[in-house]
Order: sequence, then C-alpha cells, then structure tokens
Amino acid sequence: MPTLPLPGKSGSRLLLGLCLLASLIALVFLTSRLSASDVEADPDAIGSGTLMLRGKGAATAMPAMRLGTDMNVTVSGQIARVRVTQAFRNSGDQWMEATYLYPLPDDGAVDSLKMVVGQRVIVGRIKRREEARALYEKARDEGRKAGLVEAERPNLFRNSVANVGPGETVLIAIEYQAPVRQLGGEYALRLPLVAGLRYTPAQTPVADAANVTAPIAHPKLGKALNPVSITVHLAPGFRPANLISPYHRIAVQHDGAEAQSIRLADGEVPADRDFELRWRSASADPTVGLFRQTLDGDAYLMAAITPPTREPDGPVPPRDMTFVIDNSGSMGGQSMDAAKASLLYALGTLRPQDRFNIIRFDDTMTKLFEESVAASPEQIALARRFTEGLEANGGTEMLPALNAALEDRTPQDGRFVRQILFLTDGDISNEKEMMATIAAKGGRSRIFMIGIGSAPNEYLMRRMAEAGRGTFTNVGTGEEVAARMTALLDRLTAPVVRDLKVKVDGADLDLTPRRLPDLYAGEPLVLLGKGKALTGRLTVFGLIGDRPWSQSVDLSSAKDSPAVARLWASRRIADVEAARWAGETDDATADEAVAQIGLAYSLVTSQTSLVAVDETPARPEGAMLTREELPLLLPAGWDFDVLFGGQATRTAAGRSAQGDLPPAGEAEAMTLPQTATGYVGLIGQGMALLALGLGGLALRRRALRRERLA
Amino acid sequence: MTGGSLATTSRKGGRAGGRVLSHAVLIGLCFLGLMLMARGMLIPVKAWVAQILLDRAFDQSLLEKRPVKPWSWTDTAPVARITLPRLGVSEIILSGGSGQAMAFGPTLLPIHGQGKVSILAAHRDTHFAFLRQAKVGDVIKVQSVSGQEQGYRITGFQIVRRDRFAYPRDPAHRLLGLTTCYPFGATEHGPLRYVAWAEAS
Repeated sequence: MPTLPLPGKSGSRLLLGLCLLASLIALVFLTSRLSASDVEADPDAIGSGTLMLRGKGAATAMPAMRLGTDMNVTVSGQIARVRVTQAFRNSGDQWMEATYLYPLPDDGAVDSLKMVVGQRVIVGRIKRREEARALYEKARDEGRKAGLVEAERPNLFRNSVANVGPGETVLIAIEYQAPVRQLGGEYALRLPLVAGLRYTPAQTPVADAANVTAPIAHPKLGKALNPVSITVHLAPGFRPANLISPYHRIAVQHDGAEAQSIRLADGEVPADRDFELRWRSASADPTVGLFRQTLDGDAYLMAAITPPTREPDGPVPPRDMTFVIDNSGSMGGQSMDAAKASLLYALGTLRPQDRFNIIRFDDTMTKLFEESVAASPEQIALARRFTEGLEANGGTEMLPALNAALEDRTPQDGRFVRQILFLTDGDISNEKEMMATIAAKGGRSRIFMIGIGSAPNEYLMRRMAEAGRGTFTNVGTGEEVAARMTALLDRLTAPVVRDLKVKVDGADLDLTPRRLPDLYAGEPLVLLGKGKALTGRLTVFGLIGDRPWSQSVDLSSAKDSPAVARLWASRRIADVEAARWAGETDDATADEAVAQIGLAYSLVTSQTSLVAVDETPARPEGAMLTREELPLLLPAGWDFDVLFGGQATRTAAGRSAQGDLPPAGEAEAMTLPQTATGYVGLIGQGMALLALGLGGLALRRRALRRERLA
Repeated sequence: MTGGSLATTSRKGGRAGGRVLSHAVLIGLCFLGLMLMARGMLIPVKAWVAQILLDRAFDQSLLEKRPVKPWSWTDTAPVARITLPRLGVSEIILSGGSGQAMAFGPTLLPIHGQGKVSILAAHRDTHFAFLRQAKVGDVIKVQSVSGQEQGYRITGFQIVRRDRFAYPRDPAHRLLGLTTCYPFGATEHGPLRYVAWAEAS
C-alpha cells in the first residue's frame, strides 16, 4: 500500500469518482442523442412535413413582354372593390402571347374583365371554363386579340392575353370584391401581390401542379419587373383613423370628412410582398354594418353586427376543455412534436377554476381521466407527463375519440363553457361519419380543429370546425406553435357572446351561415342573406356571460352596395365546395352547382372563366406567335440560390460518383428523406453504458474488499 | 474535540450515503444500457418481421387483384416488389403515405412527373443495406401490385446532399432511383445521400 503515491483508500475513491464522472458525461451526451434519435427513430417524416418544390425553374432572360399593374381599390362600408389593371407591353419584335399568374384574397370573387386595345374596349363574357378556353384559343390561332381569366385555385388566378403586336400595349382590367376583415374594432384590407411558390405537400398527388406554378425571375433581372402601383379610396362610412400600412410606405390625402385616398409613397413598388392597410373608426367603434343590393328581382343583404365588448370586471366563465390528440403513425416526426408542444402550451393556459381532460388516439384510444377534472397543479403536472410520453404509432381511428370527447354528462350545465380542441393532421377516411357524429351529438360543445403539419384534409377540418361552431387553426411547424396557439387560446379564454340566434320579422330571408358560431372578443357576426324584399327587422339574440343580449336592426336602413349579391354568391360557392369535401355531394353535382352560380352572377370560378375576344384580326397571316410565361418575383426574404441551387449544382455534385447518370435536361428539384435508423449506434451506446456500469460496480467491489481487509 | 468527532461521523455518514448513491447510479447505468440495446435491436427485428408480413400481403394482393393491408392498423399498403437476383434481395415497397412506413420497408416517394421516374427510399442499415454491394449492370426487377413486371439495369451511382437532389423531368427511358443515407458505416445522421440509378431495359 505505501508503495502507491496515494493512500489506497482515496485512490480507489478517486477511481470511483472518475468512473462516475465519465458516466455522467456519457449520460448527458446520450440523453441529447436520445432526444435526437426519438425524432428520427420513426423515420424520417416523409409525408409528415417533407415538402417538395415544384417550380418551373428560373427565368434568367428579360422577358419580351413587360407588365405593369395598377390596383385601384374602393372601400365602401365593409366591402372592398378592387380594379386590377395589367398593362402588357410587348418590347420585342415578335407577336406575343403572355400569361401571368397572380393571387387574390381567399374570399375574393372576380366578376369583370375588360380588354383595352388602342381606343377600343372589349368586355369579357362569362363562359364555362372549357368553352372560354376554346373561344380564346380559336381567336388566338386566327390572329385576333383575346384575353382570358381563369381561376386555378380559389385564391390563384391566371390571365392570358394573345396577339400583342411588336411595340404594342394591351390593358387587361379585372375587377373583384372581397369583404373587409374586422377584428377588435380594427378593419384590414389585404391585397396579395405575389403568388409566391406553391409548395405541394408530398403526399397529395396534384395532377395540375403545373397550373399553379410559374417561372421565378432570377435576381439578376432586378426588382424592376412587374411594378405595381396602388390607390385606395377609403370611404368606410365613418371617419377613419389610425391608418397603418405595415409593409409599404403610404401617402394619405383627405377627400372630405369620411373619405381618404391612400397611395404608395414610393409610387411603383416591385410585386414581392403583399399590401396591407388597417384602420379604425375615429369615434366609437361601429356596431352595425348593414348593406343591401337588389338584383334581378331578388334582394340581398349583408349584415355585420359587433356585440359590445364585455366589461373587464365581469367574471370570466370557467371552461371545460377536452383536448383530443392524434398520435397515429402519420403524425410521426415533426408533426408529433408540434402537436405535443401545442398541447403543453394549452395546458399552461388553464386556470384553477377550469376543468379539463385529454384523450389520445391512434387505432386505440386512451382517456387520461374518466371524466374531466379540476385544473389543479397536480392534475396539470400529470397531464404534462402524459403528453410528453406520447409517441406516434399505429393507424388513425378518430371516431371513437370524437364520440368520447362529445360525451357530455351534464348537458344542461350552463356554468362551464365546453370546448373541444382537436390536434390532428386530419388523415381520416370516414369523413361522413365524423360530420354526422358532430351534427347528432354536438350539443353545447364547441369544436376547434388544430391542423398539424401540412394538413392535407384542411377542407374537412374547416367543415368540422364550422359544424362544431368553432374555428380551424393550422399549425405548420414547431416554430409556429407559440404564435398560432397564443392567438387561438387568447380568443378561447373568453367567448363574448354565446347561444346566438337570429330572427327576421316581416321578411323572408335565406341567411347563411345557418348554425351561428360563438363570438369572441371584437369579432362581428357576418350574415349574408337572399330574399324577395328587405323590410322589417332583423334581431340577434345571445348570451353575454349569463345575461341575455339582443340587438335589432331595421332592414330598410341598409345602405346600397353594388357588391352584396356577388358576396352572397361566392359564399354559396364556398358552401358547395365544403359539401363536396365532406362527401355530401358528388363531384359532378358540385361542379354543376358551381358552374350555375358562376354563370348567373358572372363570377370566375373553378368551372367558369371570363373571356374577351376582339372580332377583327390583328396579326397578319403568316406572322409567328411567340408564347411567353411571365416570371414572378420571389417573395421578399426568400433565397433564390437555396431554392434553385438543386438544379444548378446537380451535375457538379453528381460527378463525384462513378457510372452514367441520367442525362442532364429539364430537372425537378427534390429533397430526399432521412434514411438511417442508426440502430447499430444505439446498440453500441447501450453496450458502452452497460460496460461503464458493470466496470464501476466491479471497481467498487474491489474497493470495498480492500477497505474490509484494511 | 467534540467538533472533531462530529466532523468524522458526518464524513462517515456522507461516505455511506455517497456509496448508496453511486451504487444506484451504476445500476441505473447498466439498466439504461440494456434498454438502449433492446431499443436498437428492435429496429432490425421490426424491419425483418414487417417484410415477412408484407410479403404475404403482397402475394395475397396479387391473388385477389386488390391491395391487402399487411396488418389491420397500418396506414400504408404494399405497391410493388423489387428483386435484385445477384444479391438475393427481395423487398416489398410501400406507398409513401406515412412517416412510419420506412421502418417496415422501402417506400415509394411521391413525385411529380409523367410517371416515368420512380424514386424509392429506405434505410441504409436495414432494407437498403444491399446498395453497398450493388454494381453497375445489376438487374433489378420490379413487380407491381397489379402483376406487371419491369426489368431495370443499374446505370450509375451518385452521392448528393439531400437538398441538392434533382431528377430528370422527362427521361428517354423509365428511370428508377434507389436512395439511402451515406456513408454506409456511419452511425450519425448526415446530409449526404447515395442514389443508385437504374434504367428500364
């Protein structure tokens, strides 16, 4: 013993200490590895967040056709009427055909097309889509000027113009309208200026992906392409104040007490970011907006009624929240993490007076508590552990979970607001049964759908939320969790008005939506209606807290607005589409219904297009027509090299391997999935840990024996 | 004096406590090690068992001329069988519908195009481990769930970053791409992918 430089006892203790330290380091290292491999153990999230870029590549040459866009917006009351004039100027020496893809607001409805050639104005007519295209192509081939507006998606349109002569300019003017959004007394108008790149979720086979993509302008072309000028005539029916344009500098001019004109301070801007304008009322926030239109003997009504904001000292009603979380295999990877993070966030917002429960499902189902429990710190801690332990596995059987969530043991209990939050990717097959269940058992429960990941079944989720009188929120990625969930949960904390009912005295009005939602802070109830005459009174009843509230408006006081009928029509189209997605109508019936509405109200829809054709031939016989697809600017903040690097560097990277590669040509970029389980590493680490532990134990035994000997 | 004896006892007590603690930690380490090993071993076992079940389901699908689910709760269905006779490889390909499918077999990546290009992905340490031995000129046979057979011949290999990959939009012949992680022996996840290209013969 004394031969050792250190006394034996402390020597073995040192060894032991070193051993423990080493294992501690290994543990820390491993836990970090473990959390990483948890994500990747179920690999690799194809389908649950792998997105593919389907572009048409990059345009590096300056197009011969130049485009300038002017937007002239008139806001009257709560409806925005937008005239978009696109000037197609042919700077080359060929006869040209050009197409341009551009976005419109989701609830926008294009209803007018005018083509201006020199001094002549040719007015577009609404036709069925195929017929319109045939007319356009015939005119194009015969050398006549023609313009066509088609809807590629509800919010994505394509303009085509044919036979623009060398040095000539053709104006295409379309008009659309959209309701102005209102929240918390603030009004917002958003003009999308850039179509951006459509990411097509990997698992949806999109046959017409080519229709919603366009070439992207290479940055070397500069930002001068497709400049846009914007003028907004604001006449909201009250004195506007607090004008804000978050993305562009604006110049404001007063046109009287209740009207202002807003222009872009910089004149023309590149079309690489959306334009947004927000305003409030200078006096008290208006509570009623009532607009009417009479068209072909029918009367149309739009009513926006904002209930008074709850007084701040009133007690907030306690909530009974049921969280339903999907942990099926399709949620594997990022989606599961986003869902768990969302649920953990929501648990943090519960107050002691609230009650809650969690139901998780794959092809099996577990309720955390038999029935909802008080949100005490202990129960919430239990719920957190339960949530953190969830792993994505198995199939998707949502119906039993929905049934369990809708099971309401005290349907008459008015003290609690019953809210159900559904966190799922919506990968469901039995859609009809789901809808039927909500209709039959919905009761007083409100259903809020939270779509996780690239939500392929967004339409169904919207429809379920609508039927359950809640809302749909999409949480795409982990980074979005906090922002989206905060906004949703803040609103959910306090429903302002419940049990809404509408009664119309003295007139027969067909109102939509039929099932009225709850209203949350600052939200108006927007009703669209169609009837024979607008007389009598419309009364809205509801409960604010425990007290009944009602507001009555005189229908004859409605202001005339030329937009109401078409807003009603586009809302009808949304209803038809929702029914199609819920499987209530088959495709053919839905298409026909949409076509009929489109034709009757002159709206560009998925089934109808606007076409304008010049009767006199312009292009001399024998002259060639060159077709050009105008490149789009990349949205601000996007990196051209990152997006298109794949195509540019493919061959360079490919040369590092042997053999013949597929010939270079037109290529599609694609991101490959993660393809390693790393199980060998996992086993190796396990063995290392085991060896460490066993080694440590052996050392200890030796030390103990030595101690005993000493 | 009293202070000194107090200190000794407390040191003794501390030593005993430390001993119990270190003992517990060491046992915990052993346990954790065993758990990790079990977890790691489960992966190839799952991959192997799934292929047996899938093989049966595929034969059944061929007979019944409709896709048969290999087990009731899965989100995916078998779409094809690929064989590489030289290496004695036979695998059932799954539709790329869910993030979990790859644990059970190679998956068909959903891509855009005229259907002339198919790209399969699988793990380098389970189903596509054989790619390491594959050579230019190897014959790959693909049998679809409808019974059609198509032969391919490997034309070349490529190593690319996962986000720098592209495939031809309209090739002259049908193309089959087999992708997996690279390098083969690594235990870490990396950005490189190994792609074997095969052309229809």
